[in-house]
Amino acid sequence: MLQATSVGHSHRERAIDLLFLLPMLAILLVFLVYPLAYGLVLSVHDTKGTDLTRFVGLDHYLHAILGDAVFQRSLLDTFLFTGVAVVLVTGLGLLLAVLVADMRRGRTFFLVVFFAPFVVAPVAVGAVWKFLFAPYFGIVPMVGSALGIDTLTVAPLADPGTALWAIMGAFLWRFAGLTMLVYLAGIRAIPREYDEQAVLEGAGRLQRFRWVTWPLLWPQTFTLVLLTTLGTLRIFDLVWVTTGGGPSHATETMATDIYTTAFRFLDVGYAQAMAMILLVLILSLAVVEYRILDRRAGAVSS
Amino acid sequence: MTGRRHVRWSSVLLSALALVWLYPVVWTLANAIKSSADIYRAPWDVPWPPVLGNIGEAWSRGQLGVAMTNSVYVTAMTVTLVLILSVSAAYALTRLRPPFRAVLFLVVLAPLIVPTEVLIVPTFSMFRALGLIDSLPGLALTDVVASVSFATVILTGYFRTIPQEVIDAARVDGAGRLVVLLRIVVPLARPGIVAVAILVAVFTWNDFGGPLVLLQRPEVFTAPLAIGRFATLYATDQGLTFAGLAIVIVPPLLLFLVFRGSFLEGLTTGVVRR
Repeated sequence: MLQATSVGHSHRERAIDLLFLLPMLAILLVFLVYPLAYGLVLSVHDTKGTDLTRFVGLDHYLHAILGDAVFQRSLLDTFLFTGVAVVLVTGLGLLLAVLVADMRRGRTFFLVVFFAPFVVAPVAVGAVWKFLFAPYFGIVPMVGSALGIDTLTVAPLADPGTALWAIMGAFLWRFAGLTMLVYLAGIRAIPREYDEQAVLEGAGRLQRFRWVTWPLLWPQTFTLVLLTTLGTLRIFDLVWVTTGGGPSHATETMATDIYTTAFRFLDVGYAQAMAMILLVLILSLAVVEYRILDRRAGAVSS
Repeated sequence: MTGRRHVRWSSVLLSALALVWLYPVVWTLANAIKSSADIYRAPWDVPWPPVLGNIGEAWSRGQLGVAMTNSVYVTAMTVTLVLILSVSAAYALTRLRPPFRAVLFLVVLAPLIVPTEVLIVPTFSMFRALGLIDSLPGLALTDVVASVSFATVILTGYFRTIPQEVIDAARVDGAGRLVVLLRIVVPLARPGIVAVAILVAVFTWNDFGGPLVLLQRPEVFTAPLAIGRFATLYATDQGLTFAGLAIVIVPPLLLFLVFRGSFLEGLTTGVVRR
């Protein structure tokens, strides 16, 4: 603080400092704040094309939540998918990280293999997985029929009972490498002495994981759970290219419903109301998770 | 020596998982250079000698040359803008003392929480009013907003590692803010800036939701959009589709393989809160 005054920070100086933030703030004003504000306006109006025709108050919101079976279905699917995805993708990432950290050789190879799907365009991931699930030449039905698993022998993406979980396969394939990477950095940061001390005290491998590694990885778990939740609640591209929300809305997510309503049925005001509901859900879930996880993180570090 | 058996057991599991992870990519690349009939008839055959007909045909029929050019254009523009905005913002937030710094930091992070899906409808209507539909610079601006917060977060992490004394000393010697930024901060944070550039490039290259809404004429389609349309149009010709997919998948994969170091490091630095 003393130093700050000694360099001399008058109001004028600090105003000049602010100049470096202005370009960013200008972009955010035009492409974030304005669309949000206009989105709010759209959501309380009936629309024709993109023109406002009639003020309807909260009608769109009420109709979406109370009277729109497709939207309710998409809400349920989105939350179900997000809940399962968070658990599986962090679990799988942790498993991969522990296994890779254990390797004496070839770590880079495994890192690259597991992380590579993350850089492949989601639209291509979706198309490739569609083929993996395709009857006659996709590997999943092939393996399914070899093992005699009925649900896998036909076309998992075309069956309303399995379609959402087939997409989960593609999701895990794309994102497990990212969670692995984050956990791996955490594991490497754990001082070796902790583990050695636990070995001296006679702790087995699983015990060491449970009482040393897992608690020390809490900041990583915290971040990953939060980020996966935020990212998955808005899942769009993978679903859009594999099933488009079908069959018969079995894989409809909030984002696919918003796109379909706005750009296929051209009901822009109503679609924006759904988008605002999505925003509120994301914000509140983020706050709740942050509170819960942060308390736990505080308990670990103290 | 009990550790030894564990290591072996875990390598087996890890290698099995690696095969599962590799299979979709290898299969796609192999099928891209097989005849359509062989994709069904001989799924396990090594594609040798390679059949390159599908690659050429996918390239011309899917107008992938045009689409890749468009993608390169949008990506270059987005990366440049994101770097300018995020470098100067991260500099102000970590090494200068603008008023309301804490609040501004939160404002800059806001796009991380607001998903594109919430902005896309009003943005579409704004772009329509401004005549920006089918405009690649217009698309680039939406991509900038999607990446700029993430970039700033990563860069603040790197900038904080630069000792304040180095900067103060230069300031006392009379160097202005911009000189300090360009002569001291940017060179010292170079690895971080490279990582950000590559990450933003890959994210922008892969974006699908934005182009899907904001681009309508096929001549301005980006690569993911072109391949999405292509895969639907030629869904029955798997050989052709696989070839098109391979063409679109390979550039980001190559970028990743070449720059894997800064890629992986940039992500780990950026994702975990400090």
